[in-house]
Amino acid sequence: MWRVGIDIGGTFTDLVAYNEDTGEIKHLKVLTTPREPWKGFMKALEELGVPIDSVKVIVHATTLGTNMFFGQVGLEPPQPVLITTKGFRDVIEIGRQNRPELYNPYFEKPKPLVPRKNRYTIRGRLDARGNVVEEFDENEVVEIAKKMCRKNVVFVVSILHCYANPEFERRIVRLIREACAEAEEVVGSCDVDSEPGEYERTSTALVNAMLRPLFRRYIAGIVEELRARGFKGKLLVMQSSGGVSEPKLAEEKPALFIESGPAAGAIATAYLASKRRDKLAVGFDMGGTTAKAVLVVDGKPSITHVFEVGGKYHMGRRVRGSGYPVRAPYIDLVEVSAGGGTIAWVDRGGALRVGPQSVGADPGPACYGRGGNKPTITDAHAVLGRLPDKLAGGKLVIRRELALEVYRRLASSLGMDLYDTAESVLRLANMIMARAIRIVTVERGYDPSSTVLYAYGGAGPLHALEMAEELGVRKVVIPPYPGVFSALGLLLADYRHDLYYSVHEAVENVSWEELDAIYVQLEEKAYRLLVSEGVERDNIRFIRILELRYRGQLEYLEVGWSERREIVVEKFRELYKAKYGYLPPTEPPIELVRLHLIAVGFTAKPAIRVPKGIGDPKPTGYAEALILDEGWVKTPIYNRAILGVGVEIGGPAVIVSEDSTIIVPSKWSGYVAEDGSIVFERR
Amino acid sequence: MLSPLHEAIWHGLIYAAEEMGVILQQTAISPNIRDRLDFSCAILDPTGRLVAQAEHIPVHLGTMAVAGPLIVDRVLREYSVEPGDIYITNDPYLAGTHLNDITVLKPVFYSNRVVAWLINKAHHVDVGGSVPGSIGGRVSSLIEEGTIIPLVRLARRGDIDKTVIEILAANSRTPLQLKMDLHAQLAALKRGEELVKQLIERYGVRNLLDAMKSSIEYVREYTRRSLEEYKGRASAEDVLEGMEKDYVIKVGIDIGGGSARVDYEGTSLQAQEPLNSVFHVTVAATTFALKMVFDPQMPVNQGFYEVVDIVAPKGTLVNPIPPAPVSAYTETSQRIVDVVLRALAQIVPERVPAASGGTMTNVSFGGRGWAFYETIGCGFGARPSADGVDGVHVNMTNTLNTPIEVLEQLYPIRVLRYELRSGSGGLGKYRGGLGIVREYLALDHVKVSIAGNRVRSRPWGLNGGLPGKPARYIVVRSNGVVEELPPIASVELAPGERLIVETPGGGGYGDPCERPEHLIREDVDEGKVQLEEIVKILRKCGKWKQT
Repeated sequence: MWRVGIDIGGTFTDLVAYNEDTGEIKHLKVLTTPREPWKGFMKALEELGVPIDSVKVIVHATTLGTNMFFGQVGLEPPQPVLITTKGFRDVIEIGRQNRPELYNPYFEKPKPLVPRKNRYTIRGRLDARGNVVEEFDENEVVEIAKKMCRKNVVFVVSILHCYANPEFERRIVRLIREACAEAEEVVGSCDVDSEPGEYERTSTALVNAMLRPLFRRYIAGIVEELRARGFKGKLLVMQSSGGVSEPKLAEEKPALFIESGPAAGAIATAYLASKRRDKLAVGFDMGGTTAKAVLVVDGKPSITHVFEVGGKYHMGRRVRGSGYPVRAPYIDLVEVSAGGGTIAWVDRGGALRVGPQSVGADPGPACYGRGGNKPTITDAHAVLGRLPDKLAGGKLVIRRELALEVYRRLASSLGMDLYDTAESVLRLANMIMARAIRIVTVERGYDPSSTVLYAYGGAGPLHALEMAEELGVRKVVIPPYPGVFSALGLLLADYRHDLYYSVHEAVENVSWEELDAIYVQLEEKAYRLLVSEGVERDNIRFIRILELRYRGQLEYLEVGWSERREIVVEKFRELYKAKYGYLPPTEPPIELVRLHLIAVGFTAKPAIRVPKGIGDPKPTGYAEALILDEGWVKTPIYNRAILGVGVEIGGPAVIVSEDSTIIVPSKWSGYVAEDGSIVFERR
Repeated sequence: MLSPLHEAIWHGLIYAAEEMGVILQQTAISPNIRDRLDFSCAILDPTGRLVAQAEHIPVHLGTMAVAGPLIVDRVLREYSVEPGDIYITNDPYLAGTHLNDITVLKPVFYSNRVVAWLINKAHHVDVGGSVPGSIGGRVSSLIEEGTIIPLVRLARRGDIDKTVIEILAANSRTPLQLKMDLHAQLAALKRGEELVKQLIERYGVRNLLDAMKSSIEYVREYTRRSLEEYKGRASAEDVLEGMEKDYVIKVGIDIGGGSARVDYEGTSLQAQEPLNSVFHVTVAATTFALKMVFDPQMPVNQGFYEVVDIVAPKGTLVNPIPPAPVSAYTETSQRIVDVVLRALAQIVPERVPAASGGTMTNVSFGGRGWAFYETIGCGFGARPSADGVDGVHVNMTNTLNTPIEVLEQLYPIRVLRYELRSGSGGLGKYRGGLGIVREYLALDHVKVSIAGNRVRSRPWGLNGGLPGKPARYIVVRSNGVVEELPPIASVELAPGERLIVETPGGGGYGDPCERPEHLIREDVDEGKVQLEEIVKILRKCGKWKQT
């Protein structure tokens, strides 16, 4: 029986299939079909060539949430009607009042989610404790509901301070539902996100409400097509948190599924790192246009709770106000513009720069011989003799002379030597990517040199070991099938549900028994959910996390639950000191922000089989390659496919496989592990 | 030229500055720092020249370039610097800006000599003085604006001397916030030091020092080449409003041959009210405007100032001498940007928008044991090919608002309105952005001070575009009496009394008669313009059809 993962991104759809009986892995990359995406889903599945009736599980990840949002998939999002507290009609348009770019006079803010004419305000006011300062006027609500009532209309109600008195908002929601039976959706903001912060909450509720009709159609489309083709297995959908769930949840809370594609790589890293018992790992995925880094602690990828749909990144940091905020658990990935196709150029000050522009898949780097004429990172590798003559199992011939030509031009505009130029491009690319890794480690309170780097993606293994030098990392793991590794994550994911309970009280003032009781309630709820998804009792685990901070701070730290308050407080102080270097001289009260429960339902994982290699391989040839900090070195070339478990390879070496190339500097040596990974350590 | 090795080190330094900022933001507790990002972090070379800076908010950009060499020179003259030392000051005439901004400085030592300095500066909610929030008020001298910390040693060989901190806290309305935020600044220095030391370990101290030098040369070269594309002379002036009188800011700009001279000759003498902008701020505001127009991507460090010469006569509003008060300098910095842009519009018309709202609208509240400070956005000026932007911070500031749900949890204030101000954008072929209305209800006795501008003057339009609506600050008393406030004011509100702040709209660009009909229709549909005004304009253009 087959397990199939399918990841639909903005440009490409990635498929991976694993045969449980034979260990065979199939992989396919096709262009995404933007119109009627469920048809694209089916077409890709057919191309993969796996008989549908022999598929047991399909796991689906997608960035379609984002694309749908911008009307890129032929599904126009509904035009919602927003009803909010009198005086606050423009909260959703003003946002946080900042501009996403400081110096560009032509900057634009994202278009408001609801045009001003569809935003209505009503009387009725709560104070910050949830007391009713002014009752709402039923007639006013009904009037608006009737006026805007039509088939398929979506109403979103967002009342100031509803988190402190959710019933107030729910009463308004019910009234609208009664007044307009045709409405497709009537949603209260606090039923989607029950935290203070009116802009982020309203935005989250709107995004969720606008995506629901789209997700419903999309999922119904997939289910119907699958059924028509005789699919009898199980369809699961991946959340942005990296956990999977039944498609039903995606229809109810699409906000949890907006960016699930990139989560897969993090899950694959987490899986392998926990099997290999690396407590602190960084997943590093370098593809054609970007590189991504993610931190994995104790086998769990780090999670953040704010995300902007359609938002931009600048040098690995989220640009606030560039998209629509959504508060939902989301894998904390840092992305920088550095991939094989990233372009090198010379700026006004005469400095060599790398990125952020990229040549894309078409025409690609110059050395692919498809008409590319810009110097890219891949071309720099070709210039420096670091690539084999053929890529992708012989399908792609590397034309080094074309790479030399574009680099000669770049070098002459810098007045530098050709090879020095190419070497500098690799150094700068490594610097940019190391920055992404620093952001996910140093800024989260971890020392990068104590982590194990898991490098994958088509280009990751080419850079990993030299970048490790730059970061002081001493151990690097290149997993089997690095080109497909990220997609494999789809087949390794567990069921996951995140539940929250807001507290916002000083930690001394809360009753620990009460907290325990709340956790028990959340666990019961999660338990029922997981059981209804078919997870067996023995496979369910709960993780209780407390979110704590000094009162007044914005950031909180996550501390695992303990029966004793003192232990939690002590752990908080320890974490704080580790992250920031100091404890405050005069300690403000420690605030318990929220209770977080992660409920996990373990799935059966495929045991990935590695081809049996041989024990004492001979190099298949030699290359003159440039290795950073070493210069030109005569390096043996090994074929990864024939390296058996336990084989040791010392640098300098080049290890080639169908989907990627590993450059091994002299100070490093590696061995093939039982699981097919090659584990490198600095000598 | 910047060699790739030096570039790597320089970017490492910029990263270290950014990382300091992240630590500062995450550990501070006042909304000023954690939400509004009112701070900056930088790395200086051994003589105090600005090498690398994280661009958190523009008001600080460039102030470090003036402050760095001044402070480092003073430290070196007055102290024998030792590893682990930390220096502190908030003297605006030394460190720039105003007393709220406390600057801390720490040397990085390598084999017994200083190889770099880490510096950061953050806005503290309250440093004493006559009004809550320490900004504005009826003051005529720096001493009335709060506690002055001269340049002193805060830590010697790693031992923090609590005296300074305790005196500061005792003079603040928000002592705990002050202590926590200062702690955050020190945590940031510590992290910065670790990162710079890592760079030394990796690349060696010689390369670090060379990289600092060549990054400054690189920025000089970059700026020179950016400016080379332009040539011209222009001058402009604009009005800055005081409590009762108006001041003039005047600028002459001369660009050519890859350099620029910006001269504020003709600007009003320094004011007896808190509007004075120390030279550091004038430099920062000028830098902002030049960067926006010539190249938003332009990197800035000390090298920028080797080709851009900024001159401001002593004793004027834009280069005052002590003890002129400075707390509301933010308003002046906004106007400096406006006036530089107005001059540049004559040299590079295709790159310059009409005037934005031109004010930060600082509003401070306070009562027994609390103080709260926020700023309100306004309208961004219309651009040569697009409308302005509604309800954003403009020019020298880009801070986030405080969520109303957070504000009301913490303070005895209820916000009644937070909306775009319909009809406030200057009409034109492209409409200026709308200002904001924010209305507060006092739930207790509250002292309010406001430092704003564009109450008596209006943000100008360009190329026939009309000016934006001016600001209005209104107090509604419990007996129904309505008071209009001047641009800089302090009032007390009793429970039940209201303050309504309406911020200015941006200026319009181009002839309003040329505005495409679908845009006019959209504005009307969206309620962003006043119908009567549109009708009036259309009549005047002969475009009004009775339908």
